[in-house]
Amino acid sequence: MRPLDLTEKEHSRKVTIYFEGKPYEAYEGEKITVALLANGIYWLTTSTEGRKRGAFTFGPVPMVVNGIKNINARKTKVRDGMRLERQGYGDFQETVEIDEGKPVGRLVVDVAVIGGGPAGIGTVLEVQEHLTVAIIEEKGWLGGDLWLKGLPQEGFGEKKPQEVVNELVGKFNENVRVFKGTIALGVFDKGEYFLVPIVTGQNQLIEIMAKRVVLAVGAVDNILLFENNDYPGVFRRSDALEVINVWGIAPGRKVAVVGAFPEEITAELERWGIDYVVVPNPKRVEGREKVERLIDMNGHSYEVDAVIVADGRRPDINPITQAGGKLKFKRGYYVPVLDSQHRIRDGIYVAGSAVSIKPHYANYLEGRLVGAYILREFGFEAEPCTYEERLKDYEPVAVPVHKLPLDEFNGDDVQICGCDVSLGKVDNVVKSGITDLQIIKRLTHLAMGFCQGRFCLFNGAVVVSQRTGTPMDRLDIPVARPPLKNIRMKVTAEGVEEYAE
Amino acid sequence: MPSKELPGRSDIVIIGGGIVGVTLAHELAKRGEEVTVIEKRFIGSGSTFRCGTGIRQQFNDEANVQVMKRSVELWKKYSEEYSFSFEQTGYLFLLYDDDEVEEFKQNIAIQNRFGVPTRLITPEEAKEIVPLLDISEVIAASWNPTDGKADPFYATAAFALNAEHFGAKLVEYTEVKDFIVENGEIKGLKTSRGTIKTGTVINATNAWAKLINAMAGISVKIPIEPYKHQAVITQPIKKGAIRPMVISFKYGHAYLTQTAHGGVVGGVGYELGPTYDLNPTYEFLREVSYYFTKIIPALRELLILRTWAGYYAKTPDSNPAIGKIEELSDYYIAAGFSGHGFMMAPAVAEMVADLVTKGRTSLPVEWYDPYRFERGELRGEALQMG
Repeated sequence: MRPLDLTEKEHSRKVTIYFEGKPYEAYEGEKITVALLANGIYWLTTSTEGRKRGAFTFGPVPMVVNGIKNINARKTKVRDGMRLERQGYGDFQETVEIDEGKPVGRLVVDVAVIGGGPAGIGTVLEVQEHLTVAIIEEKGWLGGDLWLKGLPQEGFGEKKPQEVVNELVGKFNENVRVFKGTIALGVFDKGEYFLVPIVTGQNQLIEIMAKRVVLAVGAVDNILLFENNDYPGVFRRSDALEVINVWGIAPGRKVAVVGAFPEEITAELERWGIDYVVVPNPKRVEGREKVERLIDMNGHSYEVDAVIVADGRRPDINPITQAGGKLKFKRGYYVPVLDSQHRIRDGIYVAGSAVSIKPHYANYLEGRLVGAYILREFGFEAEPCTYEERLKDYEPVAVPVHKLPLDEFNGDDVQICGCDVSLGKVDNVVKSGITDLQIIKRLTHLAMGFCQGRFCLFNGAVVVSQRTGTPMDRLDIPVARPPLKNIRMKVTAEGVEEYAE
Repeated sequence: MPSKELPGRSDIVIIGGGIVGVTLAHELAKRGEEVTVIEKRFIGSGSTFRCGTGIRQQFNDEANVQVMKRSVELWKKYSEEYSFSFEQTGYLFLLYDDDEVEEFKQNIAIQNRFGVPTRLITPEEAKEIVPLLDISEVIAASWNPTDGKADPFYATAAFALNAEHFGAKLVEYTEVKDFIVENGEIKGLKTSRGTIKTGTVINATNAWAKLINAMAGISVKIPIEPYKHQAVITQPIKKGAIRPMVISFKYGHAYLTQTAHGGVVGGVGYELGPTYDLNPTYEFLREVSYYFTKIIPALRELLILRTWAGYYAKTPDSNPAIGKIEELSDYYIAAGFSGHGFMMAPAVAEMVADLVTKGRTSLPVEWYDPYRFERGELRGEALQMG
């Protein structure tokens, strides 16, 4: 077993990879980032301003793979003999082989469901008998955040979450097209239908034409602000759960858990016997190439080799605003403004933790609810009110908005965004009197990088709100623009000559 | 920081706080005039906020070449004085057939006549300037190393700050609602934050110019319409990869360059409108990807981070309307820049300030005569490009 393996891997799948020249053990099917983690390697890339970065919190992970620069290590699987090297953010491949490209696919469905978590699955199960559906999931599995859990979840009985998901997905019928490892570029209103262009893991562009769209796009983990919070060895809750429960690899031998919801991870750590300490008020992490210690606000130092941030989740608002939805601030996060049928506008529905933070089962019910509304729109019998009633049992979770100890931090070391935007940089602009997030974006590059603000915009808003006293619900939050997720230019270039020129 | 207080009166009021309004306020204030800018959002928030970065002198008529020659002098002067970045990294027009070469030879002759040092260069020379270029179909290029780029937002902020230093008032988050006119004379403006008395108003609202003209009750037809143009930015790459603005008419009227931050930025000719809608479209994402990767194949493997849209305030001949409107004293217009207003702004500021303070200017402002549309005297179409 490798240093951080939690489970024995299938020996027949063993391969050898080389990182910075040295051989390491890996297993077919593993992503580069997890294979390296299993071997105790955390530092994978270096930001433009020279900050060491790992793979399990914000920011991109470009690597040199077999001599080709700028490969996304998070999405690339290991191969026997693969040679891996570190690179900086700005390195790119100057000579490219022009591959043939893949013909653009087209698919007409009644409903396009973006997001394959419990809510998306719920919608599919509700409508599949009468309508055709495409379900689009960015990860390589369906089940969303539920899939990452190891322990039984309320509402789904005593079964393990992955069994629950497999059982639900096993009920999908022939009206359902499942796209895993696939991103949606946005939702475009074409009048007669909605265009939802998607890109599969094989870089194929498929144009889905759908009469209705469901945004079951989920929530994203909060980024907690402390010094060197971007350092290799810092894990978001979801990334930590993924390496543990999907890949059978420990984030570290001894970890610190920080953030407002440590219980979301500690039970899992106990289950696997991973040694941990909960630190309520982190100030700084330190180490040479990765986290070696965490220091709290009282000056206590904890020797750990990873830090897991479990600070709650907030709805991913980017797909909402791109699709034309409006936002309001409620319970500590921005949520879509919905009509009485869970729509942001005619034809576009929202369900799950994209609406509010609540248990997986409630998100599943909400998916069914939205499905029922859609069935009714198409003239089929459906009973949304039964789901509405059951949903009333679940009061959405409030997420605390932290008061940032702005004057106690070394603001240059606290990273607010994965693209070399420090808290200090943002705070200085706000302190100079600029409080419009649009201008702050331009001046600091906050929310202008790889994540389009998915992880950093909220904290930017908190800085403005805290410094100016403006309530969060009165801030003008910039809307997301397509593409919702980064894509290689060759993918969208494909097949255009037919109609350009 | 721009003042939020609306003054009770001001000799001159400029409506619009984009690059044109702000450089003009700067020029007037520097000459000792009392001037106020009224901006409905924040300074630089309109098309300036969404603009590419290009500044070029490679136009196809005498007036524009002269104006841009002067403008580049001013860009140089003020970027040095006010320490904002204006890089003279050139503009490179890629040419693919004999007709294009012939047309550009004529343009270059006009440019050279006014001292703009544009040259026709070989494909190999073009590749030396931008090593990533695919020159397999390029037969020549038009190259002027004194063209350049600047960040529109920083540049606007620098002019704004210095305009205030010279006494101009910049009033943000204030919208002009109506004109107060008596006997054909402007007496003041009604705004969302009260009334300001003034005798002289300059319409520098570009995409919104027709709305202000209508508010002023102007009868002369000045056709300026907002069109949606879009732009894209890629992941940041090593600095210096694409220094000049690269233009290809053949491939979708594409323009692209690298920002100071490292991303590759640009757009294509794809135009929608007239419209005030600013939602980026899927069709643009497709076209820009196709054309850009034709020009620079290495872009195929770069990640697209974002697209966005802004207005080109277009006139029928792609030249702005700049001048005094005689039927209402004293009302001026400087709008309709048709996609190349950012680069022109410093020279336009000088021309309009000359008109307001002296009634004449040494720059060929009559080319932009606001009455030309009504008289049916359209100019040759100005090169509308990045």
